[in-house]
Amino acid sequence: MRLLAIVPAYNEAQNLPHVLEALGRVPGLDVCVVDDGSGDETAKVAASMGATVLRLPVNLGIGGAVQTGYRWAFEKGYEVAVQVDADDQHDPAFLTALLEPLEAGRADLVIGSRFLSSGEGEGFRSTALRRAGIRYLSLLLRLRGGVRVTDPTSGFRAASRKAIALFARHYPSDYPEPEAVALAARAGLAVLEVPVRMRPRRHGRSSIGAAAAAYYLAKLSVSLLLLPAREPPGRDDGVRA
Amino acid sequence: MNAPLIPLGLQLLACGVLLGLLAWVAALVRRRRLSLRDSLLWLLSTLLALVLMAFPELLRVGARALGVEVPSNALFAFGFVYVLVNLLSLTIAASDSAERTRRLAQECALLRAELAELRAAVAQKEKEKEKEKKQAEGEGDQAASGRADAAR
Repeated sequence: MRLLAIVPAYNEAQNLPHVLEALGRVPGLDVCVVDDGSGDETAKVAASMGATVLRLPVNLGIGGAVQTGYRWAFEKGYEVAVQVDADDQHDPAFLTALLEPLEAGRADLVIGSRFLSSGEGEGFRSTALRRAGIRYLSLLLRLRGGVRVTDPTSGFRAASRKAIALFARHYPSDYPEPEAVALAARAGLAVLEVPVRMRPRRHGRSSIGAAAAAYYLAKLSVSLLLLPAREPPGRDDGVRA
Repeated sequence: MNAPLIPLGLQLLACGVLLGLLAWVAALVRRRRLSLRDSLLWLLSTLLALVLMAFPELLRVGARALGVEVPSNALFAFGFVYVLVNLLSLTIAASDSAERTRRLAQECALLRAELAELRAAVAQKEKEKEKEKKQAEGEGDQAASGRADAAR
């Protein structure tokens, strides 16, 4: 099975070596780093460690960066794509768990959730306030997307060929994770969660501060409320299958 | 007959300003700084404003029809809607162009990676060719020296 790891990175030259080293130990995994217009050595570091580098000429934000990875996966004929954050919060040890439902054909999109119990201790679960926000998003997703997800903001997820094709065509911008789940559910893809443990980030700060968090919730509320009942026909993001 | 809605001087000034705006938009289109498509709404709405300024009685009729007591308030409302509509169309254009930029940037990244792959493949092939050539030359030298030995 052809397997691609998509690592969106914006000024992550410090964290990237840890992530790429860990991913390099996974057999049969191609790694592609999407450099989202970084000002540091992100692209150089990624290339020196043998990853394919997709270097965006301008900063598109996480949504545009991740979609670039999905488009690469789509064009290169990968059967499965795994999204892994560059800040080393995601432990590649959980890749097998993430991939198992895809290989078994039980799901098209598998999300690594911090909030499902794995019986192995809890790991990093973010702050109480953020957890409340996440719970609110779960509720919205259940109401509007008809999908039960405990950790809709998790960026640790695996996509089948079908989901890759969908995300290559449509992918939300600006805090895209929960919306992408809703899109997948609306397109009739099977969404599943598996428990994972996450680590706090090593270097640097989370990209989401207090004001951004308010914007995050407002934006997602609106986008999930306005989610079309069906995909409007013929209106895609310009990618031909 | 009612008093004129707008003093003549002000009316002339407003008409002048609107005509100036029209001329400006037309000039922008002619110099290709503004696409015709984007200029249409400006031209249309500015023309409408000009007609209202030239014949303020229309405004009085419109205000009465709408039940607005003071015609100048209808004018303010009209002006506000005029700006809002143009602003919204501008935002739509900006959204559209952001979407295109995103596409183009992504395409750019994909092509760059594709190019890097191709370059690596070509370099690899060149290297192999060089090696083969050297090997062939080496064999040729050996053969030549062999013949020389035989001749001796």
